[in-house]
Amino acid sequence: MADNKLDANKMDAPEAPEAAGMSEFDENDRLEAEHEARAREALGLGGDDDDQPEVPRDTVATVRRLWAEAAGQRWRFAIVLVSVVCYTVFSVAAPAFSAHVIDALWTEIQAAFAQGRDFAVTWEHGGYEIAVYLGVWTAAFAFYATQTFTMAGFAEKLNLALRNRIASKLNRLPLAFFDAHKPGEIVSRATNDLDKMSEVLQTGLLRLFTAVGSIIGAIIMMFVYSPLLACIFLVFSAVAIGLTRFAAGKNLKLAAERQMWVGHLTGAVEEAYSGRIIIRSFNREQASSADIHRLSDKLADASRKADFFTNAAGPGIRFVGRVAQVVIAMIGCAMLIGGRLTVGTFQAFFQYIMQASEPMTQMSMTVNTLQSALASVERVFDILDEPEIESDPSPELAQHVIQPVHGRVAFEHVRFGYTTEKPLMYDVSFKAEPGQKIAIVGATGAGKTTLINLLMRFYEIDGGRITLDGVDTHAMSRAELRQNFGMVLQDAWLFDGTIAENIAYGKPDATREEIIEAAKMAHVDFFVRTMPAGYDTHVANDAENISQGQRQLLTIARTILTDPKILILDEATSSVDTRTEHAIVHAMENLMAGRTSFVIAHRLSTIVDADLILVMNAGTIIEQGTHAELLAEGGAYATLYNSQFM
Amino acid sequence: MRLLLRFLAPHKALVAVTLLVLLLDNTGTLLVPTMLANMVNEGIGSGSMDHIVSGGLFMLGASVLASGGALTGAYLAARLASTVGRDIRNAIYDSSLKFSSSDFERFGTGSMITRSLNDINVVQQSIIATIQMVLPLPFLCVVGIIMACMIDWQMGLLLAAVTAVVLVIAGITIKNAAPIFMRLQELIDRMNVVLRESIIGVRVIRAFTKERHEERRLDEVFSDYASSAIKVNMMFAGVDAASFFLMNITEVAVLWLGGDRVGVHAMEIASISAVLEYAMLILFYIMAAQMVALTLPRAKACLDRAAEVINLTPEIADPEGRAARADAAQAEGADASDIVAAFDHASFRFSDADEDTLHDLDFVCRRGQTTAIIGSTGSGKSTVAKLLLRFHDVTQGSVRFCGRDVRDMTQAELRGRIAYVPQKAWLFSGTIASNLRFGNEDATEVEMRHALDVAQAEFVYEQTDRLDAKVAQGGTNFSGGQRQRLSIARAIMKRADLYIFDDSFSALDFKTDAALRRALKPETRNAAVLIIAQRISTILHAGQIVVLKDGVIQGLGTHEELMETCEVYRAIADSQMKGGENDGR
Repeated sequence: MADNKLDANKMDAPEAPEAAGMSEFDENDRLEAEHEARAREALGLGGDDDDQPEVPRDTVATVRRLWAEAAGQRWRFAIVLVSVVCYTVFSVAAPAFSAHVIDALWTEIQAAFAQGRDFAVTWEHGGYEIAVYLGVWTAAFAFYATQTFTMAGFAEKLNLALRNRIASKLNRLPLAFFDAHKPGEIVSRATNDLDKMSEVLQTGLLRLFTAVGSIIGAIIMMFVYSPLLACIFLVFSAVAIGLTRFAAGKNLKLAAERQMWVGHLTGAVEEAYSGRIIIRSFNREQASSADIHRLSDKLADASRKADFFTNAAGPGIRFVGRVAQVVIAMIGCAMLIGGRLTVGTFQAFFQYIMQASEPMTQMSMTVNTLQSALASVERVFDILDEPEIESDPSPELAQHVIQPVHGRVAFEHVRFGYTTEKPLMYDVSFKAEPGQKIAIVGATGAGKTTLINLLMRFYEIDGGRITLDGVDTHAMSRAELRQNFGMVLQDAWLFDGTIAENIAYGKPDATREEIIEAAKMAHVDFFVRTMPAGYDTHVANDAENISQGQRQLLTIARTILTDPKILILDEATSSVDTRTEHAIVHAMENLMAGRTSFVIAHRLSTIVDADLILVMNAGTIIEQGTHAELLAEGGAYATLYNSQFM
Repeated sequence: MRLLLRFLAPHKALVAVTLLVLLLDNTGTLLVPTMLANMVNEGIGSGSMDHIVSGGLFMLGASVLASGGALTGAYLAARLASTVGRDIRNAIYDSSLKFSSSDFERFGTGSMITRSLNDINVVQQSIIATIQMVLPLPFLCVVGIIMACMIDWQMGLLLAAVTAVVLVIAGITIKNAAPIFMRLQELIDRMNVVLRESIIGVRVIRAFTKERHEERRLDEVFSDYASSAIKVNMMFAGVDAASFFLMNITEVAVLWLGGDRVGVHAMEIASISAVLEYAMLILFYIMAAQMVALTLPRAKACLDRAAEVINLTPEIADPEGRAARADAAQAEGADASDIVAAFDHASFRFSDADEDTLHDLDFVCRRGQTTAIIGSTGSGKSTVAKLLLRFHDVTQGSVRFCGRDVRDMTQAELRGRIAYVPQKAWLFSGTIASNLRFGNEDATEVEMRHALDVAQAEFVYEQTDRLDAKVAQGGTNFSGGQRQRLSIARAIMKRADLYIFDDSFSALDFKTDAALRRALKPETRNAAVLIIAQRISTILHAGQIVVLKDGVIQGLGTHEELMETCEVYRAIADSQMKGGENDGR
C-alpha cells in the first residue's frame, strides 16, 4: 500500500501495489496469465513441448500398477492375448496355404491344358482347397474380431475408473496442491493423458502384439521358401527402418518448430485482441495487421515443412519397399524359371513381404507412442499418489458447536507455515467476539488470505488452536465448520449454469423470489435484468459477458442467500467502486447484525469503523487494535493510513 | 464451404497441379501389380530372362512414378493448405480490426484466438487429407476396375461388385458415426469445462461443502464420455471386422473364379494375385477416405466459425467517401467553436438488452476545460468514452465532435484527434519507446522524455535500458501504477483535441495522482479533457462533473454545486471521505 513502509514485501511480491485499489490489477494479471495458459493448453503447448519423445520413469512399475488397476477387466486382456496368438498363427498360415491352393490349381490347370481341355473349378478340383483356405481366413477373422471388440470397451472402462478416482481424489487433496499446480495441468492429466493411454491400449498395443507375431511368422516363412530372397528383404527392411527413425526424429523437430511459431502467433494475436481498443484508438490497424501477417507467414512456412514431412515419410519408406519388391520379383522370376520356386510360393512370398513390411516400419513409431502413453499414465498416478488431507474426526468423536452459533472466533498461539521449513506465524492470538467486524489490512503478499485459509481450514495449522465458540475447529468435521462461514473470495467463481443457479449454489432449494431478493441486496439485480435471458441467462466461469465487478456482486448475492453466521469478505470489494462497496458493506452489516465478519480491504475508509484491525506483513500479524489505538501507537498502520490520506 | 472456395480460387492452378500429380501416384501404384503379373506370366511362359529384366525396369519406372507423385503431391498439398490457412487467418484478423466493441464481444478474445489458430489448423489438416485421400478415390476405383477388366472382364465385374459393397459400408458408417463423433467432441469439451470449474472453484466448493455434488457432476460427464467413446470404438471394430471378412470372401471368390477363367484361357495364372491386390488397394483407400470423411464435419464447423468472423458486417462503418468530405467542408465553421465534444440527448442500448445502458446524455466538453464523469460500476461511465471513440454508436440522439456528427467522420480521422487512455493499462510487447511511438510514429527522444516526465514515469530512467527497456506482453513486467503512467505517456505523445482518461489514475497513490494532473494542465491547455474516475479526489477540481447512475445523469456541475444539489454525489463523497480529518485533496 504505502511505498515507503512495506518495502520488505516487495521481495515477496514483485508487483507490490502502489496504492489502494491495486489488487484489482493484480487480479487482472492473474486472469490474463491464466487466459494465456488456457490458450496455450488449447493448442497443446503444455509442459512437454520438447522435441524428445517422452519416456516413462519406471516402465515396469507403471505397467504393473496399470495391470492392478485393471482388476475386474483382466479377463478381457486374457481373451485378447489368446486371440492375438491364434490370429497370428492363422494369418501367417494363410499365405502358405494360398500357395498350396494356387499350386494345386496350377497343377490341375496345366494337366488339363496338356490334355487339350478346359478346366473348371469344382469341389473335387480345387474347390475343397479353396474352402479350407476360406476356413483358415475365417478363423483368423474370428480371432481378429474377438480382439478388436474386446479391446473396444477395455481401455475406456479402465479410463473411466481412473477418472472417477481422480474426481474423488480432487476432493481429498489439500488446497496446497491446487495452489501449486496450474488448473490446466491437472485438467490435462485427467483428459489428454488418459485419452492417450486409451488410444494406445486400443490400437497401439494390439498393433504391437500382432506386428511382432506377423513379423516373426512372416520372416520364418520367407526363410522356409527362400533364404536368399528373405535376406534381400531383410536388407531393404533395415534401410526402411533406418529411414523411419530418421523421419520420426525429423518429424518431432519440425513439429516443435511449427509449435513454436504457433506459440509466437498465439501470443501476438492474443496481445492484439486484448489491446485492440488501443490499436484502433491510435489508428494502428495497418501496422498491427502487418505484424500479424508477418508471423502468419512464418507459421505457414513452418507448417508447410512439417506437414510435408509428415506426409512424405510414408511414400518415401514405401519407395524402398517397392524397390525391394522389384529386386525380389526379378530374382524370384529367375528362380521360377529355373524351377526353384512354384507360382504359388512366389505369390505367397509376396504376401509375406506385405505382411511384414508395414508393421516393421510402424513398429518404431508404435514404441514411441507406447512410451509416451506410459509417461502419461505415470502423471495420472502421480496425482492419485498425492498426499491427502487428514480425514475428519469420526462422527462419534467429532465435537460440535451448539446451534445457533454465536460466532466467537479465536486464534490461540497459532503457529503456521506453508512449508515446515519456512514458518510464517510463530505465535498469533486474537479474539473476534460475536457480531464484531474484524478488518485485515496489509499489502498484497502480506498473507491476508493465509488467515482465511486457516479460518476455513483450507490449510491446517502447525501449533496452537483456532476455536469457534470455544470448540477447537480441528476437532470438528470440516463440513460442520464451514457451514457457519460465508465467504466472498478474490476469484469470483461462476460455474457453467444459469445466473439463478449460480446465486443459489449454496442453497439449491431457494425460490426465485429469494434469489432476486439476494441479487437486489448485492446490487446486481439491475445488471442481471439487462442480460438477454435475465436470471436464466447461461454463464460459465470463463464467460466474457460479465465483468469482474459483476461477477463479484453475483458471488456476494450467493453468500447472502446462505445466510451464514460468520462472513469473510476476501477483497471482494476491490474491483467494485467505493460507493457500491459502501452499499454492500451496509447491506452486509444489516444482514450480519449480531454476526462476526472478517473483511480484507484496501480502502481504509471501510476499515475505520472495524472493532479490530489486524495488520499483516510477511504472513503474520504485526499489529492489532482499533483504528484509534493503532493510530496512537504510530506503527505500521499509522504510516499506512497517513500515506494514503496525505 | 463457400468461404473455402473463395480462398482456394486464387490457387486454382496449384489445386489442379496437385491433383494431377496425385493421379500419377495412383497410376503408378495401380500399374505395379499388373506388371508383376505379366512378368511372372511371361517368365513362366517363355522362360526368357530378357522379359524379366525389361519387366523389372518397367516396374521400377512405375514405382518411381508412384513415389515421385506421392512425394510431390505431399509437398504441393502442404503448400496449398498452409497458404490457404494463412490467408484465412489473415482475413480473420483483418476483419476483427474493423469490429466495433459489440461486434468483437460477440466472439470474445478466447474464441477469437481459437478461431484464428486452432480452427485454422483443423481446416489445414483436412485440406491435406482430403486432397490426398478423398479426391483421388474415384479415379483410383475406376482405374483399378479398368485394370482388372483388362486382365479379364469377369474379374473386372467382380471387383466392381466388391467396390460397390465397400462403398456402401463406408457410406453407412459415415452416416452413423458422424453424429456420434460430433457428440464425442462436445463431451470432450464438456469434460474440460467441468473439470476446470471444479479445480478453479475448489475453495468455494469446499466452503459450501459441495464436494459430493461436484464429484457426481464429474462422474456424470466421465460416464457420458466413456459410453460414447465405447460406442464409437464398437462401431469401428465392427467396420474393421466387416471389411476383414469381405476381404476373405473376395479372395476366395477371386481364387475360384480366377481358377475357372485361367482354365478357359481367359487370363493367366499370376494375374489372380494382381486382381487380389487391386481389391486390397481399393479397400484400403476407401477405408482411409472414410476416416477422413468422418473428420470433415468438424473441419466444416471450424470453417463456419471462421466464416462467421469474416462475413460479419461491422456494425460501425466509415461513411461513403464523398459524403464525408462534403460534410467536412460544411463543418469548417463549426470547428472554430470551443465545443470539442457534444452529447445531444444521446442514448445507447446493447442490442441484446432491454434497458438503455446510457440514457439521454446531454452535455458538452469544451476546449481548455476538464469534464469529469463519476459513477458506480455498471453506471455506464466507460461506455461514454466508447461512444466518443465510436467503438459503439448511439441508438438515439447523437454525439458530435468539433461540430460534426461522429457518424459522418471516418473512424481514422475521429480517432486521430482523440488521445485515449483506456481503463485497462495495456502495453504491447516491445520497448518503452515502441509503445510511446504508438502516439506519434516519428517521435524524437526529447518528445518521449517530455511525455514520460509529464506522466510522472521517472521510473523509466531507473531501468538499465531506459527508453529501450523491454516491455512484456500486456506490460506485465511493470506494476499496475507504472503501466498506467506509461499508458498516459503514450496518449500524451499525441497532439489531440480531446484527451480521455478512463479511470487512469486508480492505481496511483494520491501524491502521484495530484502531481500528474498538475503536469498535465499545460499539455492539455488547448484541448478538452474528459476524466472518468471513481475517486472523488481525482476530479475535485474539474470544471464540470457529470454524475452517472444506472446510465442516467444525476447531476452536472462543480464539486461545490453538486455537494449542495446532488444526493448521489454527496453519498459518494461521504463514503470516500469518511475518517474525518481530511478531504482527500
